[in-house]
Amino acid sequence: MNIQESKNLGGAAFKNSYEKAQKYNEKLNAIVTFVEDEGCQNQQGLLANVPVAVKDNFSTKGVKTTACSNILANYQPVFDATAIKKLKEAGAKIFAKASMDELAMGGTNLTANIGPCHNPYDLKRISGGSSGGSAVLVASGVTPLALGSDTGDSVRKPAAYCGIVGTKPSYGRISRYGVIPYASSLDHVAYFTGNVYDAALALEVLAGRDDLDMTSSYEPVLNYSQLLDYDFSKLSFGVIDNVIEAMSNQKIKETFLKLIHDLEAKGAKVKHIHFDNDLLKALFPTYFIIANAEASANHSNLDGVRFGVREKGDSMEEIMINSRTKGFSSFIKKRFVVGSYSLFEENQERLFRKAQKVRRLVCESFNESLKDVDVLIAPASGQVAPLIQNEEKQDELTDEYLICENYMVFANFAGLPSITLPMGFVDDLPVGVNLSAKAFDEVTMFRCAKALEDVTGLKDLVKEDF
Amino acid sequence: MNYQMTIGIEIHMELNTKTKMFSGAPYHFKKEANTCTNEVDLALPGTLPCVNQMAVKKAIEACAALNLKIDPLVCFDRKNYYYSDLPKGYQITQQFHPIGRDGYLTIKDEGVSKKIRINRIHMEEDTAKQFHLHDETLIDFNRAGVPLIEIVSEPDMHTPREAALYVEKLRQIMTYIGVSDAKMEEGSMRCDINVSLARADSEELGVKVEIKNLNSIANIETALKYEYERQSELYDKGETITQDTRRFDEKSQTTVLMRHKEGSIDYKYFPEPNIFPIALKEDYIKEIIAKMDELPDVKLERYEKKMGLSAYDANTLLSDKELANFFDETMKLCDNAKLACNMLVSEIQGLLSKLGQSLCESKLSPGALAKIVKMVDAGEISSKQAKEVLSAAIDGADPSEFAQKMGLKQNSNEDEILKLVLEVLNENPQSISDFKNGKDRAMGYLVGQVMKKSKGQANPALASRLVKEELAKR
Repeated sequence: MNIQESKNLGGAAFKNSYEKAQKYNEKLNAIVTFVEDEGCQNQQGLLANVPVAVKDNFSTKGVKTTACSNILANYQPVFDATAIKKLKEAGAKIFAKASMDELAMGGTNLTANIGPCHNPYDLKRISGGSSGGSAVLVASGVTPLALGSDTGDSVRKPAAYCGIVGTKPSYGRISRYGVIPYASSLDHVAYFTGNVYDAALALEVLAGRDDLDMTSSYEPVLNYSQLLDYDFSKLSFGVIDNVIEAMSNQKIKETFLKLIHDLEAKGAKVKHIHFDNDLLKALFPTYFIIANAEASANHSNLDGVRFGVREKGDSMEEIMINSRTKGFSSFIKKRFVVGSYSLFEENQERLFRKAQKVRRLVCESFNESLKDVDVLIAPASGQVAPLIQNEEKQDELTDEYLICENYMVFANFAGLPSITLPMGFVDDLPVGVNLSAKAFDEVTMFRCAKALEDVTGLKDLVKEDF
Repeated sequence: MNYQMTIGIEIHMELNTKTKMFSGAPYHFKKEANTCTNEVDLALPGTLPCVNQMAVKKAIEACAALNLKIDPLVCFDRKNYYYSDLPKGYQITQQFHPIGRDGYLTIKDEGVSKKIRINRIHMEEDTAKQFHLHDETLIDFNRAGVPLIEIVSEPDMHTPREAALYVEKLRQIMTYIGVSDAKMEEGSMRCDINVSLARADSEELGVKVEIKNLNSIANIETALKYEYERQSELYDKGETITQDTRRFDEKSQTTVLMRHKEGSIDYKYFPEPNIFPIALKEDYIKEIIAKMDELPDVKLERYEKKMGLSAYDANTLLSDKELANFFDETMKLCDNAKLACNMLVSEIQGLLSKLGQSLCESKLSPGALAKIVKMVDAGEISSKQAKEVLSAAIDGADPSEFAQKMGLKQNSNEDEILKLVLEVLNENPQSISDFKNGKDRAMGYLVGQVMKKSKGQANPALASRLVKEELAKR
C-alpha cells in the first residue's frame, strides 16, 4: 500500500495498519510500543490520515521511547522530535515505535533489547539495521511510510534486504532535534517508503530549517514529488567499480550489471569510476572511530540521574556507575571503550584526528567524482539478507566486507543525499541498488531513482505471506 | 627567608543574558529550584544546543574591554567528564579556539600602574547546583547551562594586594559594560587562584597550589596572605609543598586542603559536532564594540579632564555604577557638572540615607536634577532653596512647580533689589558709620536686612554687591 492508497482509506487507515501490525508482530518482532490513535491534526495535509511507524529513537511526547536499550526502558519524553511534529502537522498518525539496534549502534537489528527483528521474505534472516523494525513494517505492507535514522547505512542497508526504498537526504535537510543520537556529525533522519514518488513526497513534509537544530539547513524545500520528470539522455550514472570488483556474489553482480546495461540502452550516460581502493578500505575503520567517539560522549547523559532506569547506590557516583553498568549491553560498552580510547589525549592525534583527516579526503574524493556525473551508483550490499544465526561469522577484514558492506558511509561522511531501491531478486530474496547525489541535490537523486524504478518496474513490493 | 609569590587567577563570570548559553530557558538567580530549566538543560535524549547570540555579543564586549584579540571564528568543544551536576556528561566549552586571546588590564596601586596580562577568555556553560544533605543529594538545574566566560590571567601578580586589585578592577569593568552582575557572594563571579612561592633569587617558579571557594575580594587577600605564611614556613623548615587544591575556610580565615592533585584528568576534548563553526563578520564585531558602554577608565578621564571634576568627586561617582549613570543622564540635560556632582554626592546622598532609600528606589529623575541645576545656575533659586526643592523632587515633585508653589524664587531684578538696599541703608545710619569705621560685620548685617525685607528671595550675591556699591557712595 502506498501513501495515496492509504490516504484513500481515510480514518480507517490507522486501524488497518494497527491491526495488521499486531497480527504480524508475533512473527516479525518489529514493534517496541504500539501507539493509540491520537486523531488527524490536518485533514488537508500531505499525509492526512496516513499511518506512520517511527524508529524508537524518535522522541514522542508521552509515548515510551527506549531506543531498544534497557537504560531507557521506562523513558517517556516530554516533547516531540521535530520530525514527529512535522509528520503530525501534515496529518500523519503514528501507530508504532519500531525496533532498532540498541541506541542505533549496529547493522543487523540483532542487538535490540527486545530481540532480533525478522525479515518478512525469510523469517530466519535479519531485517538489517539499525532501523530494522521500520523497514519490515513497510516491507510487509503494514504502513506506507516509516521513519528511521541513518548514521552509516542504517536505513539504506535494511531497505536493500527488505525490498523497499530507503532515503537518506542531505545532512541538515531534516532536523535531528529530538532524535536520540548515535554520532551527531553522521546522524541523518531517513525513512522507508514503497516507491520513489512517496519518498519524494515524504521529504516535502519532513525537510526544512529548524531553529532547534543549528546544523539544519536554510536551503529552500522544494516540491520534490512534482519534480520527478526525467529524460534518460540527460541522466548520467557513475558506477563505483571498486564495489563490483570486491563482490563475490555473481548473481547480485549480474543483476546490477544488467540494470546498468538497461539504463545505457535507454540512453542514459554511464561512467565507470575507480576510487583509490585504500581510501574505500579506510571507510569502515574511519567511520568506526568517529562514530564511537561521538557516541561515547553523546550517551554520557544516560546516567540514571534525571530520567531512564536508575539503579541503587550509596552516592550519586555509585548510582551513575551502577545504572550505566546494568543499563547497556556489553556490545554498547565495547563501543564506548573504543570511542573513549580514540579520544584519549595520547591517542587522539593517531586515531580520532587522523580519522577526521581521512574523512576529509573521502569527502573531497567523492565530491570531485560527482562533478562529472549526476549520481554515483553501486549495489547496496554484496549479499542478500544474512541468516540470523550466521551473522556473527563474517570476516571483517576482507575487501568484500570492508568495501561492499560499508562503502555507503561515504554519503554520511559528506552529507550527500543517498537512496536505496530494489533492483531485483536473488534466490527469492530482494537485492538493492544505491544512488548518491551532490549535497542538497535531492531533485536529481529522486529523478535518477525514478528512472531506475521505471527500468526495473520494482515498486510497492509487499511480502505478507510469511 | 624571603620568597617571591607568583599568582595567576582564573575567573568564571556568569553573563547576564536573559536565556541560557545553549537553550531558550530563562535564568534568574533567585528563582525556585528547577523552575528555570527545559529539556536541553536537563540533557534529555535528542536535545541539541543552540548558541545564544547575546552571550556571544557579551563575550566579545568582555574581550574588547580587556584588550583581547577576538577570534572571528566561534567554535565550541566538548569537555568530557561524569558528574551528577553535569547533565550531558560533557560541558560545551571553547578549548581549542577561545573567543579572545592575549589581553591585559591595568591596576593602580597608590598611583602606580601595572599591566596584568590576560591569557584568554572563553565561553562555556555552567553546571547544576548540588546540595548534599545527610543521606541524599538534591540537584537544582536552574544554573545548568547558564552562560559563563572564563577569564584566565597570566601569572603576573606577586602580592595579595595585586590579586585583590586585579579582581576588583575586573569586577568594575564587567559591571560597567553590563556583561555580568559579577557578584561574588551570589556566585556570578567565582575565582580560582593559583599561587606558588619561590626563593626570591630563584628563577624557577615554585609548586602551584590552587585555592577555591573565595567569595569576596577581602577573602582573596586574606587567603593569599595566609598561603604566604603557610608555604614560607614549610619552605623554611625544608619541607616540600605538594600540588594541592585548597579551599578558603571562612570561619578560621585560613585555607584548608581539599584534595591532592593526582595526574591531570583527561577530558578527551573534541570539537562539538552539533555546532558548526560560526564565522563572525568583521562589521558585526566592530558594531558591537562601537555600541559598548563606556569603560570606567574612560569615564574617569572624561569626568576629570572634560568636565573638570576633582579626582575625589570623579572617583566617588565612579565607585557606584548607578550613581555614575544617573550623573551621565543628568549631564545630557544640563551643563554645570560641578554643581550636579555636588548635589548628587553630598546633598542627595545625605537626603537619601536619611530616608533609607537608594537612588534607584527614590523618585528623583535625572531630568528633575538637571532642572534644579539649571534653576540654580540661572539664579532663579538660591542654593539654600535648592535643598528644599531637591528634597521635594526625591518625593517625586516637579522642581519648578514646587518652587513656584512654595514661593521659592530668587529675585535677581537689580532695580527691585536696589530699591530694598536703599531702604535698608536709609533705615540703618548707625551701621553705615560702623562700616566706615572699619567694622566689616556691619556689611553682613545690612545684607541680612535686605534678605529679610525680600522675604528671603533676593539673590544674595546681587544683594551683597549692591550693598557694597551703595556704601561706597555714601
